Amino acid sequence: MNMAINTLGLVAAVTAFLTIWLGHVAVRKVEAEARDIRPPMFIAIALGLITEYCSLITDNLSLKTALGILGITLLWDAFEIYRQQNRVKHGHAPANPNNPRHAKILAEHPSATTLDLLKRDPIGRSVSPEEAPKLITH
Amino acid sequence: MNPFGILIGLVTFAIIGLGFPLVIRGERYFGYWLWVYIMSIGFLIIIASLFIQNDWASVIVGVIGATFVWGSTELKEQAVRAELGWFPFNANKVKLPFADIIKKWKAPHL
Repeated sequence: MNMAINTLGLVAAVTAFLTIWLGHVAVRKVEAEARDIRPPMFIAIALGLITEYCSLITDNLSLKTALGILGITLLWDAFEIYRQQNRVKHGHAPANPNNPRHAKILAEHPSATTLDLLKRDPIGRSVSPEEAPKLITH
Repeated sequence: MNPFGILIGLVTFAIIGLGFPLVIRGERYFGYWLWVYIMSIGFLIIIASLFIQNDWASVIVGVIGATFVWGSTELKEQAVRAELGWFPFNANKVKLPFADIIKKWKAPHL
């Protein structure tokens, strides 16, 4: 019986975890700073397509796997930049008042806020909109 | 020119999508202390993938493991979202074994 270790699943797992983490952080950062979200969305789409092409042409199976996952993550991140803007409009992500695009969102959407209401630990009960800002800890 | 990587990317995307209900339902029914269980299961699944000889199967199992590990880091924030009313809040959660001990640990958040 052949009990050789197959590291391909581990490569995929590590790549998936790291690229999701990176995308998670980068999308929020980029959306908060960008005056226009279209250029970063376009860059993410272009990088995603280039990465998928590289996955297609390489012969190394581990690299093929890692690039395939990274590329799809980049393509999804482009859409997430757009979704992040909607979260800011809903007040589910903090608006950056120094960004003119966000300043406009703050003026036009009553639900938008500069507060990050998620920046705290859970307390184990429902919280009213009035109480929520007071619980932010860090 | 074989599309193995691209197909794996798409399959990974679909599997990670399954992580959303895992985090939302898991937090709702068990609370964010579930993170210890979800993370442990995730690492065990990733280790299991090492012993699968078929490449497709190894990758799919590995990515399912990664989804569990990532989900464990989302549970704390999901608990806050539920408290804020962005998701349904369930006050009567099923108490997990060792929940009181896990409560004292710092839940991961990335």
